[in-house]
Parts: sequence; structure tokens; C-alpha cells
Amino acid sequence: MSETRSLFSDSQLRRGRARWIYLAVLTALTAVFALVFLFPMYWMVIGSLKDPAELARPVPTFFPESFHPEVYTQAWNELNVGRYFLNTALYALGGWLTQVIVDVTAAYALSKLRPALGNVVLGAMLASLLLPAAALLVPSYLTVSDVPLAHVNLLNTPWALWLPGAANAFNVYVLKQFFDQIPDELLDAARIDGAGRVRVLASIVLPLSRPVLAVVSIFAIIGMWKDFLWPLLVLQEPSTQTLSVALSRLSATGRVPLTEVMAGLVIASVPMIAAFLVFQRSILKGLTAGGLKG
Amino acid sequence: MIGRIFGRAVGPTRLVLLVLPAVSIAALAPACSRDKPAAAQGPVTITVNALPPETETFERQAFLDDVKAFEAANPDIKIDAREGKMDPRTFATKLAGGQLEDVFYVYFTDPGNLIAKKQVADVTAYLKDFPATKQIRPELMKVFSGPDDKVYGLPWKNYSMGLLYNRTLFTKAGLDPNDPPKTWAGVRTAAKKIAALGNGIVGYGDYSKSNTGGWHFTAELYSLGGQMATKDGESWKAAFNDDKGKQVLQQLKDMRWTDGSMGARQLLEWADLLQMMAAGKLGMYIATSDNVPVLVTQFKGDYNDYGLSAMPDGKATLGGGEGFMFNAKSTPEKIKAGLKWVTFKYENAEHIDDQIKRESSAKLPVGLPEPAIWSGEVGKKWDDAIRQYSNVPAQNYAPFLAGTNGVQVKFEPPLAQQIYAVLDTAMAKVLTDQNADIGALLSDAEKQTNAILATVK
Amino acid sequence: MTSGEHVTTQVRAMPSAARARRTRRASDNALAYGFMAPAIACFALFSWYPLVRGVILSFQQVNFVTDPTWVGGDNFAAIFHDPLFWTAWKNTLEFTGIALLFGYAAPFFLAVVVNEMRHFKGYFRVAVYLPVMLPPLVVVLLWQYLYDPSNGLFNALLRGVHLPESQWTQSPRTAMLSLVLVSTWANMGTATIMYLAALQNIPGELYEAAELEGASAWQRLRHVTIPQMRFILLVLLMLQIVATMQVFIEPFQLTGTTNPDTITVMVLIYRYAFTVNHDFGMAAAMSVLLFVVLGAFSAVYLRLTHDKDEPGKIESSGKAERGRTAP
Repeated sequence: MSETRSLFSDSQLRRGRARWIYLAVLTALTAVFALVFLFPMYWMVIGSLKDPAELARPVPTFFPESFHPEVYTQAWNELNVGRYFLNTALYALGGWLTQVIVDVTAAYALSKLRPALGNVVLGAMLASLLLPAAALLVPSYLTVSDVPLAHVNLLNTPWALWLPGAANAFNVYVLKQFFDQIPDELLDAARIDGAGRVRVLASIVLPLSRPVLAVVSIFAIIGMWKDFLWPLLVLQEPSTQTLSVALSRLSATGRVPLTEVMAGLVIASVPMIAAFLVFQRSILKGLTAGGLKG
Repeated sequence: MIGRIFGRAVGPTRLVLLVLPAVSIAALAPACSRDKPAAAQGPVTITVNALPPETETFERQAFLDDVKAFEAANPDIKIDAREGKMDPRTFATKLAGGQLEDVFYVYFTDPGNLIAKKQVADVTAYLKDFPATKQIRPELMKVFSGPDDKVYGLPWKNYSMGLLYNRTLFTKAGLDPNDPPKTWAGVRTAAKKIAALGNGIVGYGDYSKSNTGGWHFTAELYSLGGQMATKDGESWKAAFNDDKGKQVLQQLKDMRWTDGSMGARQLLEWADLLQMMAAGKLGMYIATSDNVPVLVTQFKGDYNDYGLSAMPDGKATLGGGEGFMFNAKSTPEKIKAGLKWVTFKYENAEHIDDQIKRESSAKLPVGLPEPAIWSGEVGKKWDDAIRQYSNVPAQNYAPFLAGTNGVQVKFEPPLAQQIYAVLDTAMAKVLTDQNADIGALLSDAEKQTNAILATVK
Repeated sequence: MTSGEHVTTQVRAMPSAARARRTRRASDNALAYGFMAPAIACFALFSWYPLVRGVILSFQQVNFVTDPTWVGGDNFAAIFHDPLFWTAWKNTLEFTGIALLFGYAAPFFLAVVVNEMRHFKGYFRVAVYLPVMLPPLVVVLLWQYLYDPSNGLFNALLRGVHLPESQWTQSPRTAMLSLVLVSTWANMGTATIMYLAALQNIPGELYEAAELEGASAWQRLRHVTIPQMRFILLVLLMLQIVATMQVFIEPFQLTGTTNPDTITVMVLIYRYAFTVNHDFGMAAAMSVLLFVVLGAFSAVYLRLTHDKDEPGKIESSGKAERGRTAP
């Protein structure tokens, strides 16, 4: 990585005046990023720790006059954050697994097995990126409540989230692009050794695909975690609800102070941020190797 | 057949690969749970909503106790209680997916379009079994009736609007908290004095977003004696484009731009004004009495700070409320059972005393000046119980009662939500654009409203 | 690449070896479709079928109690006669235009600058992506506070440096821009990360060579960086236009469904369905219209970028586009 240079080479940036410009830009950028991107987290956490009356003041304070960390235990207990957190985690995990299984097999087939009319199928999948979500809300809901051919009702079950979530054209596209980069010779060699297609997928393609799987995974998990309108409709049974939906419902009932809601939101945001922090290098590698260049 | 694809036998591995996906989906999906029509014998189970959420511990327990008591008194009925009141997003989808409860909660604005779309059941025939319902105020029953005078639901609570004001700010501004303004001119003067206190304090606040602007426009128009829509023979026509309508907007414009007593932050909706009031930053706004407990419990205000007065100018006031309706797809048994439940819990003429006493002892506000849904004998019983168990500073609401007695309560125009949306724009423009042309705004709104009213059958 | 059809047409003249190849080909196809079965099932049931159903819905009046009634073009007529229809399209196009100005260029240039940094790269990556991970409720609460004309942070800052304040979302002149800022802030992380990844892929030798030829930094950017990123720049441009035309959350939460200055197509659809008209037929009609517009745009876009780019990638998607319009 250190050999690859970009717009400016390392040596250029170390020379005299350029060095000062570089440091100035670095400092400015760090500050701007902190202000623009980190400030909201700070504001959210600080807001949750304030006394509700202080939060309601029209002219806000930047530092709380009094700290109330007990609001977090309150939120956990009263808002039952624990259960909804678990729900959401379960849905995210299941959704991730479903997406990986469904989309990887499809991308593998489209990339390596190359069936007839494969391009048509891929095109039809990509076309779904154009469908506005609100347009499909009612028909999708109707479909989920009475799946054609199978005649099952998926409402209030996680499948109402997982199955539609698996129909993710972005995943299929990114995975396919990545698989296209895997040399056919590798796979042919394995096949000559007698491996079946499934084995090829499992033992050769998947291990090589860790980066792109990281990308798909993080987007899948964040997507499931943040989703609001669809879980609102299909998981109406309170015990099955996700964290965002439950927080929205409880905050609208009128007894919950805003600080508690914010504490709940902070708790809700933490896992995704943690996951991103942990996986960011893999994600970048995945996006890089996934053939994003021209 | 399966073993042969494209005319060639397919090996076992390949077969498995082909069949496995389909089988796994079918196997993993939950067992078919389509409701089949219930057998005639056995207890009838009805689904109801409005179960209070866990954050409302007392009300939730009271609700569940009532369910137990009801089931004990009616062994042939089982109640399946769900949370939730009326959310248009989930309502439509629930109805579409067959998930709508048998008995469901509505606001007074809902029956109109639900009846027109035939999404609710006609319960007129069953009401004769529930004689107490005859004592419900007729104008409230009208809200739940269709053009053919058939009844489709029952009311639970109702309210009329008045002026909610901050007594503490009044005192600070040198105004008498026991003598709130009775006219809009008085409101303007008071607002100016309160805004002069500075420190981000707003004298008078009003809405202009998410249909709440149009809703308040209607209330203010009624207070001046105006009308939103009138029936001209068979069709409805907009009736607000007159000097009264202009006055509503003009006085807002004056307070906003000439006096600067409404604050710079506009495009407000329901919760915003409550937040400001609870934070002690708002002098007055038009509200229903049920805002007071919300101010105290959700927004951490103090009961003693708030007073309620009648609508300024008080020629009429806008009424609203909550009630229950019945799913058009429910069987007659379920509807009958549902009526039994609703009259037991929400319109129980016999247990008025107990219910009110229970609420009072749990520190829920009793004694807010909410008009009862009852008239006649039952109505008197209600008033007595309220007076006996009142636990709020009722004297703060004396001006409201004094001014509202005998004032005509008007309800909403047809297709209210659509009309409110149109008038939201007029309200928003007046409050955010110093050069708003009131005449043009009203003419425009009138045109759009007439187009909407033309679709009323 | 031999396709199944190609082989089939020659079956009569084929010797047995070729026939064996055809058999393997056919069972390969079957296998491939076996692999794709779960995906195809999911797409068919939860993507394509609802679309068809939505189209049907646009020609009906539904109340979900009795059977739907066919009303032909009535829903479409109703939405065309709604004055808000034209306003919503105008607003949406305006939003998309401004969003491209800010939200398309910004992530790219930011990525270029960050890529030059030799320190804190992880910090920059996480920071820029943070807004993307926040629950939408948080974003709304935050920006409502920032934009508050009397007490919000932005106006407070402007006051502090003696600049004129703005009405932000409340003034027709600045409402759209204010919404674009929120939308950009909340979404730019994804694009930035992708650009960062793509930038890392550019071989350093190209820059060396350009420098040796005397190219300035700016020229290196124009002649090395941008051409190398061509593909992703074009793809993200299209995806961004398509996504921005569907903007919903920001106008809905910050300015509601009744504000003619900021109502967009998606907000209007929501309004038709849930809050004002309670008419799913109208909502479906509007959605169909949006889908047609986006589809037409994408087809034109792909056609235009078809020849100029490498035949491999774009061509296959182009063919896919044509294949899609077939059913």
C-alpha cells in the first residue's frame, strides 16, 4: 500500500511548504469532520443525559447543567429496550443470513454457471432498484399476508422481513461483479479434481470473497437495523417489534420524556457504529476488490 | 416428471439442488394461518384495540381488569386486546390484510371517510339492545352516522376547543390570570405584552403543518361565527372566503409581523406548541382541555400553571373527540359482542361512579372541563361524580365553563382532512411570508376546497 | 460465450460429441437455475409480483372490504387534475438538481482529499459514514433543532458573526436547499466510502507518469483520477438520480405533507394513500407514473453510456435493460 501513490506522492507532501499545507488541510479536515459528522452523536448523547426541562428549553445548552445517567437504566427498563434490542438483533442476523444465502447462490450462478437468459434475470433484478418503496407498500403487504401459491401468512413473523429483504439487487450485482474477477482457471482446476459445483462455491469462491461479503453484510445489517416503515406495517404485534418502531410507538404514547427516548436511540445506534468500526477495513477491501474501477 | 428435465434424466445431486430450495422455503415458512370462519358454538372471540401500552401502567392495568370483569359477566365472549389507537398507515394495511380488529378506535375525523368507503359495519339494528345509548348526546351520534342516518359507531370522549393560557406568564406580564381575553382583539393585546417579556417567549402560537393548521383555522373561523362549508341543495360549497375568513388570517398576520408576538419559528404541528407551553415559553394557544394532562405528564408541566378559557369571540366552537367503530367484515355475533364490550367499558351508564373514582385515586386528572357524552339523567350522574372526585384546580378552568356554556359546538366539515390540508397552506404562508396576499390565498383555497367537496356523495 | 439457444438451433446437424455438449449445457442451465431458485422466488414474490399488483391497483378503487372496482383511467385523471401533481414533480426535479450539485460532487471531492491524507484515515471513514448509520428519527430531531429560526444553532451562529439569518425550511426560497443539505449529510457517507475504495485502486504509476510529463495536480485529477473512476462515477450518478427522485423522509419529516414549497412525488403518494385522500388507487397510479419515468430515464441513461464505456460491463446491463422491457 505504501508503494501505491495517489495524486500526490509521499515525498511531495514532505517537502517544505507542501508539508505545512498538508498539515493545515489535515487539521482543518479533522475539525470539519468532527463538527459536521460527530456533533450529532455528541448532541444526542448529551441531550439524553440532561434533565427533561433543560432539554425543552428553546435556547439549548451545549453542556448539561446536571447529569442524569440513570435515564439509561430507565430507558432499558421502562421502554423494555432489552427485548426490542434482542428482536432487532435477531432480525438483523437472520436477515443477513438469508441475504447471504439467497444472493450469493444467485450471484454465483449468474457469474460462474452462466445460464441461458441469465442477463434477462439479472436485468429484471436490477430493475427492482427503480421501484419506489412506497408504491409497493400496500401490494407488498398484501403479498406478505397471503403469499401466492403457498398461501401462508407471514405477518408478525421474521420472514416478513427476511424474504423481501433477500430480494436485494444491489447485493446480487456487487457479488456478481466480485465473482467475475475470480479467474475461471481456479474453478476449472477444482472441477477437474472432481469437485461438484456446490463444493466449488463453498471451498473456493467463498473463502476468496471475504471482502465483498463484508460489504454485503454491513449494508444488510445496517439496512435491517434502520428500517422503519416496513417493520411498522408487518410486525405490529408489540412483542415482535423492532427497536425503532417500538421507540416511536412508546414515545408517541405521551408518558415518556424526550430524554428517555434519546437514551433509547443512543442505545439503538451503538451496535451499528461498533460493527462498522470493527469491520471498516474489510469493507473497504471488499469495495476495492469488487471491481469498482472503470 | 421431476426426474426428467429437458428430456434427460437428472442425477440425484442435481435433483436435490433443484428441489431443495422450494422445499426448504415451504418447510421453513410457518404453518398456514389463514383464519377460517369460527364455528357457531363456543365462545366468540373479538379483537379490540386501544389497550394502553406498558408505559401507562395504571390505565393498562385498569383495562385488563375491565377485560376480566367483562369476561366474567359474559362467559360466551373472549376479548383479545391489542395496543394501538388510530394510525392511518397501519389502519389501511391491517384492513387490507384482514388484520383489522373487530372493534377499533377512531377520532371524530375518521367516521366520515370510513363510512363513505364502506369500511365500517352498520350497527343501527343492534342498538335497541343497548338502551343507554339513547342518552348519548344526539349531535355526537350524528358524527358516527351516515347520510342515511344509520349508525356506525359510538363516541367515547369529546371535547370542544378553548384558549389554553399560561397563568404564570400572565401574572409576569401584568395580566390578570383569572380574566383571560374574551375577544381576538384582547388576545392580540395580551400576546404583545407577553412577548415583551423577551427571552424567547412567544405570546400566541398557532399551527401550520400536517393538517393541524387547517384544523385551527376552522376552530378560529367558527369562533367568529363563520362556516367552513355549507350545503347548497345537494352539493357542498366552501364558505370561508368571506370577511370572517379574512379576519382569521389577518389577525394572525398582524400578530406575527406587525407585533412580532408569535415568534419566528413556524410550521408547527401538534406537539410543538405543547412543548413550548410546558417549557414556559408560550403565553396562549387554542387547544382542547385534554392537552392539560399531556402537558403535565409527558412534558413535565405543572397543573397550577395552566388556565383554560372559552374561544375568543366565542360565537361557536369546534368540537372533536374519540370513539369506536366496528369492522365491516365482522360477523353479526362479533358485532354484538363488540357493542357489549364498548358499552361496558366506555359508555357504562351504571358504573360511572366507580370508574371516575378509580381514575381519581390513581391521580389521573378528573375534573377537566370536558363535555360529557351523556345527556339527560345519565348526564347528571356524570356531572355529580366528576364534581365529587375532581382532583385538578378546577377554578383554573372556570372561564372556560363560563364562556362555553350554551355556545354552539360545531363539528368538522365533510372530508375534513383534505380541506385542512388545503388550509394548512394558507396558514403557513401567512405565518412565514410577510407579504402574503390573504385574498389570493383564500380564493385559491376556496377553489381547491370546492373541487374536494364536489366529490362528496 | 455459447448460449443455449445457439446450440439448440444446430442440433440436427450435430455429431454426438456436440449433442453431449448440449446435454451438459442443458443440465448446467438446470443447475444454475437451481442455484438461483431462492433468489428468483424472492424477487418474483416480493418485488415483481407486487409491482404487477400495484399496476393493477392503479386502475381500481379499493376499500379492502368489498371487491375492488375497476375505474379505468379515473385515478390517473384524478391525479392529473390535482394542482399539487405538477407542484410535486417540479419540486422533485428541483430537489434532484440541487442534490446533484451538492450531493454528487461533494462526496467525490471529499474522497479525493481524504485519500491524500496520510493520517487518521480510519477516523475520516467512520466519521463520514456515521450519519448513514443513525436512525432517521435522530436525524430529524437534530436538523429541526439546527434549522429553528429563532432558537436553532445555525441562526444563532449567523447572529454571532453578524450575518443575516435565514428562515431555512420555512421560506420558499431556502426550503429546498435546506432539505438538500439534510439529505446530503445523511447519505453522502456511502458514496464517499465507495469513492475511497475506487481511488485506492488507481495504480500509482499513472500518477508518476503524468507527473513526469509535467502535469499539475489539477491536471492529474482531470486526466488520471476521473477517467480511472469513470465507471463508478457513472453508476453512482445514475443511482443517485434514481434515489433522489424518490426522496421522502426529509420533506416529510421536516415540512410535512401539506407544504406546496417542498412536497415531492413520494410525499404526495403518501398523502394520497394515508393522510388526506385515503385512496390507494390514486397512490398506485402516481407510483406507476414514477416508475415509468425512472425506467425511461435509466434506459436512456444506459443507452447513452453504452458505447463510450468498456463493452463488458455496461453492455451486459444494457442488454439486461432491453430484456427487462420485453415482458
